[in-house]
Amino acid sequence: MAGKSGRTISNKPESPIKKIIFSWEGILILVLIGVNIFCKWFSEYYNMFNLLRQMPVYLAEVFLMMPMAFILVMGEIDISVGSIACLSATMACIVCNTGAPFIVVILTALAVGTLCGVINATILTNFTELPPMIVTLSTQIIFRGIAEIVLGSGGSISAANTAGFKALGTKVGKVPIILFLVAILAVIFAIILGKSTFGRRVYAIGTNRLTAHYSGIHVQKIRFIIYTVMGLMAGLCALFLVSTSYGANTTTGTGFEMDAIAMAVFGGISSTGGKGNLAGGIISAFIIVCLRVGLGQRNVHAQVILLILGVLLIAAVALPNLIGQLRRAVKKQ
Amino acid sequence: MSEEYILELKGITKIFPGVKALNNVQFQLKAGEVHALMGENGAGKSTFIKVITGVHKAEEGEMFLNGQKVDFKGPRDAQAAGIAAVYQHATSYPDLTVAENIFMGHEIIRHGMIQWGAMNKEANKLLQRMNADFDATAEMGTLSVAQQQMVEIAKCLSTNARIIIFDEPTASLTRSESEELYRIIDQLKAEGVSIIFISHRFEDMYRVASRVTVFRDSQYIGTYDVDGITNADLIKAMVGREITDLFPKPDVKIGEEVLRVEHLSRTGFFKDVSFAVHAGEILGFTGLVGAGRTEVVESVCAITRADSGNVYLEGKETHFQSPSDAMDAGIILLPEDRQKEGLIMSWGLGRNVTLPVIEKYAKNGLNNEKKERELSKELLEEVDTKAVDIFQPASSLSGGNQQKVVVAKALAQEMKVVIMDEPTKGVDVGAKAEIYAIMGDLAKQGYAIILISSEMPEILGMADRILVMCNGRKTGELSRDEATQETILELAMEKGATTKGGAA
Repeated sequence: MAGKSGRTISNKPESPIKKIIFSWEGILILVLIGVNIFCKWFSEYYNMFNLLRQMPVYLAEVFLMMPMAFILVMGEIDISVGSIACLSATMACIVCNTGAPFIVVILTALAVGTLCGVINATILTNFTELPPMIVTLSTQIIFRGIAEIVLGSGGSISAANTAGFKALGTKVGKVPIILFLVAILAVIFAIILGKSTFGRRVYAIGTNRLTAHYSGIHVQKIRFIIYTVMGLMAGLCALFLVSTSYGANTTTGTGFEMDAIAMAVFGGISSTGGKGNLAGGIISAFIIVCLRVGLGQRNVHAQVILLILGVLLIAAVALPNLIGQLRRAVKKQ
Repeated sequence: MSEEYILELKGITKIFPGVKALNNVQFQLKAGEVHALMGENGAGKSTFIKVITGVHKAEEGEMFLNGQKVDFKGPRDAQAAGIAAVYQHATSYPDLTVAENIFMGHEIIRHGMIQWGAMNKEANKLLQRMNADFDATAEMGTLSVAQQQMVEIAKCLSTNARIIIFDEPTASLTRSESEELYRIIDQLKAEGVSIIFISHRFEDMYRVASRVTVFRDSQYIGTYDVDGITNADLIKAMVGREITDLFPKPDVKIGEEVLRVEHLSRTGFFKDVSFAVHAGEILGFTGLVGAGRTEVVESVCAITRADSGNVYLEGKETHFQSPSDAMDAGIILLPEDRQKEGLIMSWGLGRNVTLPVIEKYAKNGLNNEKKERELSKELLEEVDTKAVDIFQPASSLSGGNQQKVVVAKALAQEMKVVIMDEPTKGVDVGAKAEIYAIMGDLAKQGYAIILISSEMPEILGMADRILVMCNGRKTGELSRDEATQETILELAMEKGATTKGGAA
């Protein structure tokens, strides 16, 4: 029954170089270079050594951005991750203060995070009609509420045995451990999202859930895995939060979910699902980290930094639209 | 200009970036006539309608209304001139009432307040004109497709339209609902409304229209009197070539039983349905829309769960837990709604084709994109898809070619049973013939095929055996020789739903 008309259909992909240059990631790399030039001009202290020294404080959020990218690509959202980090950090400190070996502390943080992720995942996959935004808003309140109850009247806890946490904050040569970890995980997450069958299915779910279901994709299984990993990564994030402050309090991780979403969206990952990739998310994460380090060095107020990031984000979301409109206008001429 | 025409268009050319959507076409509508407009998908019918209703502005050409030259700046001008359109997919607000939908945009207002009483009364008056069996205060979303269409028509009437354009109104109607629509159209005609009627169904045209105009490849082909025209003439005008055999049913020796379904039930959807299909056989599945045909096969494929009953594949009982289990076993469903269930419209054709089988070619969980490109090219060419490359989005293809991509997607899998749910819905006659040819080839290759269809000629033309459902029950099973329009219809309309005809 081969093609009766003898028509052939091309399957030659376009050159990858052209693809990169004209992509959003290409633009982001230029922005990253621009931001570094700006910071160098703006702050006399801005150099590689200081950047690496001050980076870890901001890098913990990148752990959240990576699984968040998967959730956004699915067309969903998880706003409970900041609270999960808070609860994980709190529990880790409590276990740490019992004198348990540090490996137990690490496992506690990861286990608490994973458990919270499983709770989200269980609710969302069993009651598929519930919107993720509302479910994770509820668990956001619940997880932080539990943390506040555990923390009691003081509202904070210090890790008595800081040796383990100090180890997490050390450097190999001049490069902090956390940067290594972010780099390794970024590569793993990017390969899974961009190159694996799992990733392809995530895009399918985010673009047309019904077709995905009819095509034999285990939609709920995939959602369960992703929300669980999201919790696990929030636990990891919590460990590094404690390692920078040697403690936890009721505001630990506040707003981190929004930062993670902002990084991903700035990286070109659409919150309506099915679009973007992790490379964009990682580059945009470093743009934000560099900007924060650079502006922070000249004591620019944290609120002003937030304001700048907000403007950048809106520009990032609006720009593709504007370019599209411009293109259409030019075509009409 | 000629006085007898209420609407006349001459030399209309509409250019979109890169394509001439209409090329010097003409059209004349007599006052009080029903004029069918036919042509394959992409022939330019929709663009033409949008020119008439003022949505698009033609680059060239003139339009005369009652002999007067008109120049619509936008849809509002056309509406004011008494031209209205009923679109294929109702563009309604499901959460609002019927009256609100009818008067959307031109509510009855006094002192800045909506006059609910007057509006409901007026709406009910319009509905009564069509013998509607629902009230103006009913919520739109609770109505059937046919009832929603009546609301759309009422909406046209509420603007005092003198020319109403129907864009494929019967595409999602059952037979009896179509009859109801014909009646309304006859009535509107008697009231002096002029009607332009677009449809792929020949029976629609024969039933309601007195003249028919055919477009092909953006050009005007001709206008004919419905009385003097045959199917073959029309197809030739529309396709530009003769289709000698629309239903190329191959002579296939029917083999072993492949799939057997026994006493399948799902509360609220269907009850006690049994059937079997053999290798090389095409089993027709028909009945009115809503009879439960789609629901039955979706349960067979584990897309939804049946409450009771058994499914046997090659004699062995199956226990599918998920759609992928059924697909792995070789039961492949081509869903009814190719845009929502069959394809990911924004994805390239290639990725659509390989979506169900990526795992098979993957190494260590990573996609083998090179292999995928080769496979999708091969399969898309096998079904003769009109496409430039495998990367163009599925949304860029016509309905018929989208369906071919759905077939290619099925071919990528190892099939034993192929279930095609309304494979030619909204597909033009040229592509229809190609899809039937593919279906015939699949039967020849020994696959067991289930063809779900509401189109009688298609069922009669392609099926070896015909299973009829009504209200969630199987009402009969007919052999190819026994089946006629009448026998099928009788079973499909049967109210008592007692099992008749061949036993399961």
